[in-house]
Amino acid sequence: MNNKIKVERAIHNLTQEQLADLVSVTRQTINAIELKKFVPSTVLALKICRVFNKSVDEVFSLESNE
Amino acid sequence: MKPLLLPNRLKNIGWILLLPSFVVGLVFILFENKFPNTKINVFGFFGDAILSSKLEQQFRVSSVDLIPNLIGICFLVGGILVMFSKEKKEDEFINQLRLNTLQWSVFINYSLLLFCFLLVHGLAFLNVMVYNMFTIIVIYILRFQYLFYNHSIVKNEQ
Repeated sequence: MNNKIKVERAIHNLTQEQLADLVSVTRQTINAIELKKFVPSTVLALKICRVFNKSVDEVFSLESNE
Repeated sequence: MKPLLLPNRLKNIGWILLLPSFVVGLVFILFENKFPNTKINVFGFFGDAILSSKLEQQFRVSSVDLIPNLIGICFLVGGILVMFSKEKKEDEFINQLRLNTLQWSVFINYSLLLFCFLLVHGLAFLNVMVYNMFTIIVIYILRFQYLFYNHSIVKNEQ
């Protein structure tokens, strides 16, 4: 699954640590999501989108083979 | 579904039990003859054949060596505490890491056992079974610590 978390973080001027604190996870989790090593749960995806004030499909999208 | 995990403070107790028992266990394997004789009488099951007609006689007080039993108990308790205690901050990524590591360690453990079934025979296989009691714990802890700290040291991108 693709995501634009890194771009959105840059727009909102947030570090991984700050975003992690806002959604109550570890920095490793944000890092793993950005590197596409981990697909977040629906709840976590919604929390991240709420921080960026975006809808889920604006931040997350399926890859062509999914 | 929340995973069944122990409080984080038990992890340090786990390490305190696990590391010394691991070191003493290795020394015991290498220099068993130099260790003092510490036989004590304990009550337990000492049966040679589980389906014996005299089952009640197999539950009795008998002499066992204290040191290897103590090492084994400390290692298992310490290992379980380290494996199943929460990290300081626990989340869904750590949970997935745990599950993957557990699957990985069970797979490696039984692959090693299968390998030993094919190559180790006779009384030597008893040693394999003894070590095999601890391999899932050892592999799990090594793998989990490696993955956890591997993810921890990635530089924070601004």
